[in-house]
Amino acid sequence: MANPLTIFDLKVGESGRISGFTSQDVPMKLYELGLIPGTFITLKKRMLFGGPVCIQISNSASQIALRSTEANAILIEKLLVE
Amino acid sequence: MRKIALFGNPNVGKSSIFNLLTGLRQKVGNYPGMTVERKTGTLTFEGKKYEIIDLPGTYGIYPNSLDEQIVTNILNNPQHSQYPDLGVVISDPSNLKRSLLLLQQVRDLGIPCIFVINMMDEAEKMGITIDQKKMEELLETKVILTDVRHEMGFEELKQAFSLELEESESPYRVPKEFALAVEETIEALNAENSYKAWQLLSQKELDYLADEQIKEIESIRRKYQIIPRRLQVKEILRRYQTIDEILSKTVFQLEPKKNPVTEKLDQILMHPVAGYVIFFGLLLVIFQAIFAWAGPFMDGIDEGFAWLGQRIGSLLPEGPLNSFLTDGVIAGIGGIVIFVPQIAILFFFISLMEESGYMSRVVYLMDRWLKPFGLSGKSAVPLMSGAACAIPAVMSARNIENDKERLITMLVTPFMTCSARLPIYIVIIGLIIPDARFMGFQLQGIALFGMYILGILGALGSAWVLKKIIKTNFKSYLILELPTYKIPVWRNVLITVWEKSKGFLIGAGKIILAMSIILWVLGSFGIGEKFNNAEEIVAQKHPELSKEEFENEVTAHKLEYSFLGYMGQALEPIIKPLGYDWKMGIGLISSFAAREVFVGTMATVYSLGDTDNEMTIRERMANEINPNTGKPAYSFATGMSLLIFYAFAMQCMSTIAIVRKETGSWKWTIIQLVFMTGFAYLASLIVYQLLK
Repeated sequence: MANPLTIFDLKVGESGRISGFTSQDVPMKLYELGLIPGTFITLKKRMLFGGPVCIQISNSASQIALRSTEANAILIEKLLVE
Repeated sequence: MRKIALFGNPNVGKSSIFNLLTGLRQKVGNYPGMTVERKTGTLTFEGKKYEIIDLPGTYGIYPNSLDEQIVTNILNNPQHSQYPDLGVVISDPSNLKRSLLLLQQVRDLGIPCIFVINMMDEAEKMGITIDQKKMEELLETKVILTDVRHEMGFEELKQAFSLELEESESPYRVPKEFALAVEETIEALNAENSYKAWQLLSQKELDYLADEQIKEIESIRRKYQIIPRRLQVKEILRRYQTIDEILSKTVFQLEPKKNPVTEKLDQILMHPVAGYVIFFGLLLVIFQAIFAWAGPFMDGIDEGFAWLGQRIGSLLPEGPLNSFLTDGVIAGIGGIVIFVPQIAILFFFISLMEESGYMSRVVYLMDRWLKPFGLSGKSAVPLMSGAACAIPAVMSARNIENDKERLITMLVTPFMTCSARLPIYIVIIGLIIPDARFMGFQLQGIALFGMYILGILGALGSAWVLKKIIKTNFKSYLILELPTYKIPVWRNVLITVWEKSKGFLIGAGKIILAMSIILWVLGSFGIGEKFNNAEEIVAQKHPELSKEEFENEVTAHKLEYSFLGYMGQALEPIIKPLGYDWKMGIGLISSFAAREVFVGTMATVYSLGDTDNEMTIRERMANEINPNTGKPAYSFATGMSLLIFYAFAMQCMSTIAIVRKETGSWKWTIIQLVFMTGFAYLASLIVYQLLK
């Protein structure tokens, strides 16, 4: 793919499956929080002016906020919302 | 004493469990050489005494922040004084996966661990059932279900503290491709098991090892082309595979998890527009409460200490000891205690925001606006707390992961308008701003509000400058869990308020008290005829004075020729361009210890016996004539100049001490001091020269 999708490209309410990262250098905390390849996520909220986004890991009650840089570092495959 | 350490992700209710186990039998200290708070407490159960250690919240053993580094350091070093005999890994039903990662890691390092699933009341609401027996079997350890709100499961937990657990039979299996490297590490460094060897290869910070050992590890890494980070990633991915298997056999969920309350609240509280309106509204309410609620308490404390001073003053014979106790010690302690109500109220609200889960939303809301200034959303908490007192605020910067953002936050937080600036602002605004209304707003109130805005601008402006100067190797990021909203556990709120107030009283109190005593000595003693024969000189000059007036005049005369008086006069040439006279110089010197000392010192300087009646100080100050200009000492220009000076200058020894401790660097502490006070000097100079 020429322009792979990242979490930041999702619209509010859209879901995707994490397929990888744009760099080897993403913070360890992403892995520890379970944002690893294969995980399903849904974009729940997004702030104005390129502010942080808020995602939910499938089957988790709590949400995770990511800055645009982190959201842009996580590659996803988009899923259609039912 | 058997040592029990509590591990857990942030937001799982770890502190609630710690508070419930230890009550007020807690000790807060610091880790040696580090500034991360160390919380320990004791518990006696069935005749056995336990030391409970509350470790900082962490997601894993590969550290992202200073807090997490502490946990890693303890775990990797069995010689550490906090190395536990038993680990308690605490989890909550909604995030079992992450907690099991931590459990496995800690246990594989050779620390026997039990697993606690807290907040079981939430599990029922979410439709989660857990097969406890099956989980114990699969995890090969004790699994305990708890609920702090109803104090459920705690007997069982305390009983488990005495368990002697066997090591897990299925420790982390090192991937085949690294087997040789691990074996070599075991031999070369005497590692106890393969996971410890794996840790040696994968951890970046190995400070507790000797230099030769580190060299040895580096050579093994080179030989096998090992990059520590890749090992870490590999380990986490592998562990999550087995964790998923365990969870699928033990945790059952009826419907997909949903938290309608949290989702509905977040729709408003995290709304791109309404979220900010609510947040700032809330701040307004908090500040109103701090001033409105604290007022009566502060008056009561003030009067109480004045009464105490008078009683002791009249009981003891006149003389230096009497004066030392009443003017030095009691006035000094009173000056500390008076801030406790404000600090308690502020931390009551901060703790409520943290307990309920709202604080994470604040971080989320503020990140976009603080980032351009080199700060993080997490800086919002220290900056807000700075409005009460910079000391706890600087300490609360610890959970900022990025070193540059953390440093900038600590350096700019003292610009925020702390409660110690308030007495000065109130007195001076009262002197120079008319008590009138403009468009329905009270002018003095607007001026006070303006001073708060000035503080915020000072903080953000200097953060922006520092951002350009400070370099860092670490990437800045924001990855933040937003927990579901919870009704606060009141015990936790009260313990936080108690601890912060106590910490302020003892920590900052020591310095303020010491400074008050030094000031008393400098102000009460002097050399030379003018000091020693004050009574005669005054009697000659003003024979017409009544007894009380005479005594006041003597006090003022003595002060002028005391050590402190000479210091003020020595400072005069420097501060004259700012519109101050030598008496204000004394105020500046003495309030270097703490800003609030200014009002008290000015009271002494203007020869008033007691400081509890602010009106009389104010009247006296209004009548004061500047000997240099022959005009009122507190003119509009001088008043503005003083306000600006106190807004920016680093007039607080306690903050300097805490910044030195938290940054671990004299360089930054001194830069901060010079920058703040230098900037204050320039700004006041400009303001005075323009308004004069």
